[in-house]
Amino acid sequence: MPARTSAGSIALWRSDSGRPAASADRCPHRGMRLSHGFVRGEALSCIYHGWSYAQAGNCLRIPAHPGLTPPETIRVATQQIEEADGVIWVAVGEPTDQPPRFDGFVPLRSLTAQAGIAAIEAAAGAKKNANGFLRQSLHSEEIGFLLVEQEPDQTLVHVFIGDNATPLNRILASRAAEALRRKAEGVQTNGISA
Amino acid sequence: MLNEWYPVGLFSQLSKSAYKTALMGEPIEVSIAADGNAKVTSHTGRELPVRVRYGHVWSSLGAPQKELFAIPEADQPGRRFVDVGVVRVRCSPLRAVENFLDIAHFPFVHTDILGAEPHTEVQNYKVEIRDVEDEVWATQVKFYQPQAAKSASGGITTEYMYRVPAPTCSVLYKTCPPRPSEWDVITLFVQPLAEDLCDVWPWMALFDDDTSMTDLIHFQQTIFLQDRSILENQIPRLLPLDPGMEIPTRADLTSVAYRRWLKRHNYTYGAQLVAQ
Repeated sequence: MPARTSAGSIALWRSDSGRPAASADRCPHRGMRLSHGFVRGEALSCIYHGWSYAQAGNCLRIPAHPGLTPPETIRVATQQIEEADGVIWVAVGEPTDQPPRFDGFVPLRSLTAQAGIAAIEAAAGAKKNANGFLRQSLHSEEIGFLLVEQEPDQTLVHVFIGDNATPLNRILASRAAEALRRKAEGVQTNGISA
Repeated sequence: MLNEWYPVGLFSQLSKSAYKTALMGEPIEVSIAADGNAKVTSHTGRELPVRVRYGHVWSSLGAPQKELFAIPEADQPGRRFVDVGVVRVRCSPLRAVENFLDIAHFPFVHTDILGAEPHTEVQNYKVEIRDVEDEVWATQVKFYQPQAAKSASGGITTEYMYRVPAPTCSVLYKTCPPRPSEWDVITLFVQPLAEDLCDVWPWMALFDDDTSMTDLIHFQQTIFLQDRSILENQIPRLLPLDPGMEIPTRADLTSVAYRRWLKRHNYTYGAQLVAQ
C-alpha cells in the first residue's frame, strides 16, 4: 500500500512470512509506483513488468530475462521499519532510539481528516504530546489519537483505545473519532478562531 | 514537434457543430464544413492544415514539412477498419507510445489475454532507426499469447513488428490468426493535449470477418484501459530522455531506440531532459 512520510511517498508491504518492509514508491525500471505491485513470498513485484525486490531493496528477478541474475546496482531505496503494538513505524533517516509505546492502548482504526493538526487540537480541546499522541476521555473510556501530518491541511489519524475496552465501547470510540473528524474539518473550513 | 501531424478526432463522428478539443495546449475546434470536408480552427480563428486518413482527422499547429505517414495496408481490400474511439490518459503522449512498444508487460498488465506467466521471457529481436524513412522499426518480436486477438482461439506465439513513423504515433503489425500470410495492423495515434495529458485513438485494419464490430472495439478498449492504470502511475509523468533516471534491459531496445530518435530530432514535447 502507498504511505506518505515527511521524506516522500513509500510502498509499504508485508511479506508472506509476516515481515513488514518499506521502499521508495517507484520501480527504477520504468518509474511505476511499487505500491501498485504484488507480494509473493518474501518479495515485492512491480505490477508493470514483474521486476521483484527483496526486503533489503535488491532486485531479485526480471521476468523478461528469467536466466539473468540482476546486478546489485538495480535496487530500490528502503526505509527502516519497526512494528510495535500493532503500529508500523517508518524511520526517516537513521533514528537513534526506538519508536514510542502507548502502554495500555491498542490500535482501533485509522482515518484521514481534511484538517491540519491545529484544527484537530482545537476540535478536541486538547493538545497532542511530543509523540503526536492526543488523549481524550469518552464516558469512562480513554481514547488516543496519534496524529500524522500528510499535508498542511490533511492529517492521518490512528485511533487507539484501552486494551480491555468492551466491543460496545470500541464502536462508540469509532463513532467519536468520526465526530472529531467532522468537527475538525469544520474548524479547518471556518478558521481555527471561529 | 509543432510541424508534425496529430490526430484530433474521428472523421465519422464529426458534425457541423464544432467539436472542442486541444492540441499542445492550444484550444482548437474540429467540424465538418459545408463542402463536406473536415475543418480545424485554432482559438484565434486561424484555419489549420487538415488531412482525413485512417478514420481520423489530422491537423497541426505549424506547417508540416512532410506528408502524413503512409500505411499501405489501409488501402488493401478485404480488411475491416475499426475506429476504436478515444481514451483520455493523464500521462505524457510519449509515455503512451512507449508503453505501446513494450511487450514485456503483457503477462502482468494484460494477464491471460496478451500474456501469462510463466511465459514472460522476451526473446532477442531486431531494432533499427531507418534513415531513409526516418522511422524506428522493431522486427522479429515474438511473444507467447493466451488470446492474441479476438479471432484467436487458444494460445499462440505471436510475431510482431513495430513502427514509429511520427513522434506520437505507432503502427503495429501482428500475426493474423485467420490469415497467416498477412499481418493485422493495429495503430496507436496519440493526440497531445498537453505535455502530461493525451487523448489516445487506437485504430485497426484487420482480416476478421466474424467478430462483431462491438466485440473488436471492446477487446481493444479493455487492453487500453489496462494500460491506462499503468500510464497514470508512472513517475515522473514526462518521459525521461536522459539515461540514469530509468534502467532499460535487452527487452527494452525498442524503447531505447525510440528515446534516442526523439532526442535526435528534438521531439521533446512531453519529455523530461534533466534528471530531477
